[in-house]
Amino acid sequence: MPNPNEFPPDPLVEIQKIFDRVRDRFSHRGPARFNPWLIVVIGLLLYALSGIYIIAPDERGIVLRFGRVVREAEPGPGYHLPWPFEEVMKPAVTQIRKEEFGFRTVSVGPPARYRDVDPEALMLTGDENIVKLQFIVQFKVKTGATGATEFLFNVRDPEATVRDASEAAMREVLGRNAIDNALTEGKEQIQQDAQKLLQHILDEYQVGLEVVTLKLQDVDPPDQVSDAFKDVISAQQDKERLINEARGYANDVVPKARGQAAQLINEAEGYSAAKIQDASGAAQRFIALQQEYEKAKDVTRLRLYIETMEQVLPRMNKILLDDVAGKQVVPYLPLDQVIKLKPAEAGKQ
Amino acid sequence: MDRRWIPILLLLAAVVAGWNLVAYTVPQWEQAIVVQLGEPVRTVQEPGLYFKLPLIQNVLYFDRRLLAYDSAPKEVLTKDKQQLLVDNFSRWRIRDPLQFYRTVHNEAGGQSRLDDVIYSIVRENLGRHTLREIMNEKRTEVMAEVTKESDAKARDYGIEVTDVRIKRADLPEKNEQNVFNRMRTERERLAKKFRAEGDEEARKIRSESDKEVQILTAEARKQAEITRGKGDAQAVKIFADAYGRDLDFYQLVRTLEAYRNSVTDGTTLILSPNSEFFRYLKQLDRPKER
Repeated sequence: MPNPNEFPPDPLVEIQKIFDRVRDRFSHRGPARFNPWLIVVIGLLLYALSGIYIIAPDERGIVLRFGRVVREAEPGPGYHLPWPFEEVMKPAVTQIRKEEFGFRTVSVGPPARYRDVDPEALMLTGDENIVKLQFIVQFKVKTGATGATEFLFNVRDPEATVRDASEAAMREVLGRNAIDNALTEGKEQIQQDAQKLLQHILDEYQVGLEVVTLKLQDVDPPDQVSDAFKDVISAQQDKERLINEARGYANDVVPKARGQAAQLINEAEGYSAAKIQDASGAAQRFIALQQEYEKAKDVTRLRLYIETMEQVLPRMNKILLDDVAGKQVVPYLPLDQVIKLKPAEAGKQ
Repeated sequence: MDRRWIPILLLLAAVVAGWNLVAYTVPQWEQAIVVQLGEPVRTVQEPGLYFKLPLIQNVLYFDRRLLAYDSAPKEVLTKDKQQLLVDNFSRWRIRDPLQFYRTVHNEAGGQSRLDDVIYSIVRENLGRHTLREIMNEKRTEVMAEVTKESDAKARDYGIEVTDVRIKRADLPEKNEQNVFNRMRTERERLAKKFRAEGDEEARKIRSESDKEVQILTAEARKQAEITRGKGDAQAVKIFADAYGRDLDFYQLVRTLEAYRNSVTDGTTLILSPNSEFFRYLKQLDRPKER
């Protein structure tokens, strides 16, 4: 157990002691008396070891001997003759690079913000219209045996080459398309054609790059005329709306009319049936009456007459005048006053 | 350090320095010419290790890769008198470094010479075609021709032109405005057409349904009248059949019924006691002998 009253040994002091001991051991032997060949061997060894290199998984190694390509190396460790005989270049080949056309990403976000670059985006279409088109190109070094070599040594500034070639390809393809096609169903085809043409150009340059994808972002009419284009869309919607409204009207009016028609016919049929029933009822009644009448003509005749009179007369004002008197009196009779009398009173008179 | 090491180190330094005087490497992406006292003596286009005379020969390097040439946009007049703002680019390489060195000296010189060559050929070629041909139908052909001619001309400068392309071809400001105006009127025409078509279609549908309504109700009215007529006819026949059995009796019954129905309260009737109904008011007949 350490004595708690003693301080623990100071590490700095300890190291100093070791140094002192080492110095003491050499100092009494005199200056630099080790074997000189050892230095030569170590030097050569270190020189030889400088040829060890490691290729990262996303890289490919190109070994140059006096500036000339002698071999390519896969990811992993490797060895080349030390400088100045050989050297190795390690381009990143799996990395997918991206170029933006017609816009630039200002900040990746989220939310991502973009800035339009109109001179790049405005293009002439085949029918001499102008369209605003933004697209991206993703590309990488070709995976084939010569891809990395081509990429490194065939073209100066491959990225700028991709930019130039992409713009040329896109404009050439768009020059073969009409504006309506570019704005609507033609996008897919334009994308494919442009990618094909771009790859063709790059292959011609032997730049060792492969177009992974070319994608149209926005294809719009230019800002100066976008109102007019929007109006066409709203006109199309107006058209649909007008037609729908008319269809709605038809759907409203025609069934109602059918109902009305059915109503008219039903009413007529009802009328007709009622008419027939009423008629046959009345006829039956008459026939029954007539049959009885046949049996006792005079009596029935009289009875019917009297019964009717009985019903009819009480409701009337009656003035009985003898035939003779009637001929003289009628012109002077104050008919209006007589009529004013109530039937009961008239009866009393 | 031991004194005998000093000569060894000096020798080593001399070897390295001497090596650099007589040996040179041409890397993969470059080519070189060897100049002896200002006079080019050799062209080296393959990469590797080479030797030269020390001091009196020196090496000039040139890029072997494909190089970019990008001109400022320039106005070009097409065959159909359209102004076009053409921004073309080219890819070229130094084919013959010796010739290149003699005629244009360096890359900057090469670029400016290319500018002259390509611009004049582009202008000449585009001037032979209409805007439509340039933009659309013959673009590839035209540019292939431009490339061919440029390459032929640039050979004098030891330059190979592999490709000339139109990067952008835009209309100048004023013409652009015209295009916008045309586009706008074209769209307005389309919008009008759509709206008119909508109107047309809607009117058709509406009038068609109005027509259908008219026909439907008229047919129904017709049907109704026919039905009513049939009913009436039937009724007439029934009455006729029934009342025809005894017209006298019908007259009696119907007349009496009509009395009942037509006589309302307060109707004033002036009667003679001689009438059938009132005749007993005057006298009682004796029963008739039967």
